[in-house]
Amino acid sequence: MSSNQEPGMGSYVGIVIGLMIIVGIEVLLTYQHLPVRTLLFSLLCLACFEAFVGIMYLMHVKYESPLLFWTIFPATLFVLVLLNYVWPDAYRMARMSLGK
Amino acid sequence: MSESELTMSTGHEVLMEASPYRIEKKKLGMWIFIVSDACTFATFLFGYGYMRVGSQNWGTPFDFPTILNGIIMTFVLLSSSLTMLAAVRATQAGQKPSANKWLGLTITLGTVFAILHLREWFKMFGEGWGLFSNPTGGAVQFGACFFSVTGLHLAHVISGVIALLIITRGYNRGRYDTSHVETAGLYWHFVDLVWMFVFPMMYLMNAR
Amino acid sequence: MHDMSAHAAAHHAPPSGFIRKYVFSVDHKVIGIQYTTLSLVAAFIGMALSWVMRIHLGWPAASIPFLGTLSPNGAPGGVPTPEYYLSLMTMHGTIMAFFVLTAAPMAGYGNFMLPIQVGAADMAFPRLNMASFWVTFVGFVLACATFIIPDGPPISGWTAYAPLSAVGQVAGPGQGRGQDLWVLSIALFCVASLLGALNFIVTTIDLRTKGMTLSRLPLSTWAWFINAWVSLLAFAVLLPTGLLLLLDRVGGTSFFIPGGLVVNDKLLPHSGGSPLLFQHLFWFFGHPEVYIIILPAFGIVAHLMPTFTRKPLVGGWKVITFAMIAIGSLSFLVWGHHMFVSGMSPSMAMVFSVPTLIITIPSVIGVLVFAFSLYGANIRFTTPMLFCLGFISLFISGGIGGFFLAQPAVDSYLHATSFVVGHFHFTMGLSAIFATFAGFYYWFPKMWGRMMNETLGKVHFWLSFVLVYCVFMTMHLMGLTGAVRRYSSYVADFMVPQIPTNRFMTVAALLLGATQFIFLYNAIWSRFKGPKAADNPWGATTLEWDTTSPPPFDNFGGRQMTIHHGPMEYDADASVMQTSPAKSIAGT
Repeated sequence: MSSNQEPGMGSYVGIVIGLMIIVGIEVLLTYQHLPVRTLLFSLLCLACFEAFVGIMYLMHVKYESPLLFWTIFPATLFVLVLLNYVWPDAYRMARMSLGK
Repeated sequence: MSESELTMSTGHEVLMEASPYRIEKKKLGMWIFIVSDACTFATFLFGYGYMRVGSQNWGTPFDFPTILNGIIMTFVLLSSSLTMLAAVRATQAGQKPSANKWLGLTITLGTVFAILHLREWFKMFGEGWGLFSNPTGGAVQFGACFFSVTGLHLAHVISGVIALLIITRGYNRGRYDTSHVETAGLYWHFVDLVWMFVFPMMYLMNAR
Repeated sequence: MHDMSAHAAAHHAPPSGFIRKYVFSVDHKVIGIQYTTLSLVAAFIGMALSWVMRIHLGWPAASIPFLGTLSPNGAPGGVPTPEYYLSLMTMHGTIMAFFVLTAAPMAGYGNFMLPIQVGAADMAFPRLNMASFWVTFVGFVLACATFIIPDGPPISGWTAYAPLSAVGQVAGPGQGRGQDLWVLSIALFCVASLLGALNFIVTTIDLRTKGMTLSRLPLSTWAWFINAWVSLLAFAVLLPTGLLLLLDRVGGTSFFIPGGLVVNDKLLPHSGGSPLLFQHLFWFFGHPEVYIIILPAFGIVAHLMPTFTRKPLVGGWKVITFAMIAIGSLSFLVWGHHMFVSGMSPSMAMVFSVPTLIITIPSVIGVLVFAFSLYGANIRFTTPMLFCLGFISLFISGGIGGFFLAQPAVDSYLHATSFVVGHFHFTMGLSAIFATFAGFYYWFPKMWGRMMNETLGKVHFWLSFVLVYCVFMTMHLMGLTGAVRRYSSYVADFMVPQIPTNRFMTVAALLLGATQFIFLYNAIWSRFKGPKAADNPWGATTLEWDTTSPPPFDNFGGRQMTIHHGPMEYDADASVMQTSPAKSIAGT
């Protein structure tokens, strides 16, 4: 099934523990009284990293044909990036309700 | 280029072009579904973000016990991904009893997640949270966003558990094989992946 | 070598019994016919709705036959109330856009033809395919059911804008149960489309026969494949939008309902929602949707034209395919051009306007390829070819209107006028339908084993072609004079002089409707009494013509289909099948 050498079960245990550690970091960051924007950005970055690790290792994409990665990822990312177009109106809504 | 062979009921072997992705069509189908499901979850999360940015008094109502419950749920789900991996490896190696053990553990962990989640929900209902009620007096969208996003995720977890039950049974009866378990594993990891976003966005961002 | 399961074989044993053969069938050919039939029924229902609307616009006080019986509340004495007019308009749009235009050219023909064109015995997931159809069917039943419930269909348009669609019964007739049924109907359609798209993608990638490389795929297959990706990503966003709307309606949430809203003298308890968010999410789907409608049409025309011009398309398979890929991708970047006057952030208007203009480039390239491919061609003016030519004309006419609408400044005048209605009818309703007709006449022999009547086909074409221009080009002019869309009658003095033009359009529209019965008669009569069709009556090159009419259960009778060249790679004057070894033209 795999084109490269797959890791053993031990490596997977390590990966999952690593993910749990990242979750721990996320929780720690939450209680650092960071500004909301900073916290959001940090959490999103960490979540994206976790997702990437999950996709590559847990979902085995690292060991599949590169074409699979380059099909699935860009398509999903495309939609995720475009949905960000809604933010200008969200912020306008906030400003307008303050009477600005 | 290697060629796949598909045996048809006529008994002829039909030569086909090999899949450029070199994975079985079931798995490709599951990946395509995952793409669409990711977009669906993203829409919900963006809707939540929009509501939050646009509202004046969102508030951050979650105390540490709620966050702790969330952490436990996260660890449960991550562990279930690990057990799912073990199950897949066991089926690949043809070790049925081992596969059954790991599949059973995954199902159990998934169920534990669902129970913890529902317990938390009912606790929140008891405190006065609802789809349009916020006992802290903050934005009423909080409940709408929280329950719809986590609800959609919970529905995926429960469907996943049911699917795993069906696959485990089928695997034991010889109707399903390694590819079915792998495909189910893909779905299960996806559900875990979504939680990697739901937990920070819905819980940590709303922590007090 | 990977583990190929032998389970696929079990799915391919021919079914027995009427139910398994014709009702709950997993055979893609049966499912394709089921979808096409559903679309045909939907088309006539949608058309009938438009007749009622058009009669009312031309003669606002006229009593329309049967309408008073269908809805005594909505049309007392047979005269539609303004709200009921909006209901008719809503369901006309919904039924036509979803159950006709999205279903027929993609799910209908695609299901029948795609597996055959790639050389497969069936779709990748036949049972999922069957499920997709029956889910669509239930969705259609729910949509039709809105007519027979006491309150009638919703009035919010096929676009179902919040807050009207979100506040529920308080907004008046149609907005209670009617809108609920509508949301459920569309949600089911989303699910069916997502599963269908999944099937199309995996089939095209994984089930191609030996020698059928991607460069040798027929252009209709390419169109369905690209369209499946667009559908997948677009419907994946519509589904949650519908769920959020449903939550607002029955769950009391306020995703789309702002605070302080007073509807029919009642202050609603909602607060904090954003109607603009609904528009963003809806049009995120809504714009790709119109390309979901047109891409199969492009594919059908690209597929048919070489057969009837006896030469390849200009630029070969690559130009059209890359144009379609460009159109499909760019279609996701332009949705805000539906929202120029919505109160959306003005800076976003620029962000959406520029890609809207850019997307015209691949569209124009596509249509010009079709037009230029006629040069030096030995054209056979069969009915399918006439409809292809009609497509070219209609798409260009409609597309030109798009240039005006793409500019925010001009659009602020034209938005919500009949100009827009004329534009989208040309591009969606007419071009796509003409391409669908082309496909129908072309593939009818393959699907039913009989030929349709050419004379009736030509009469159908010419009458339709002239009449659609009469109705919808006039509509553009009406829009320029300020005719507001979705108004059931005349509310200002300046609109009174438009009445004679409206009557002209109504007469033309009714004649256009009558013409479609020629087609229906032709289709039904030919199905049973038409002359038997040969395997390849048109002299085409693709795999569907390399088997019997209609194809056997497993599409090729157990033969190994090996592909040696693309559909348009042949020596001059020869149209050898894709399965025959032949020299290909250099530079194609």
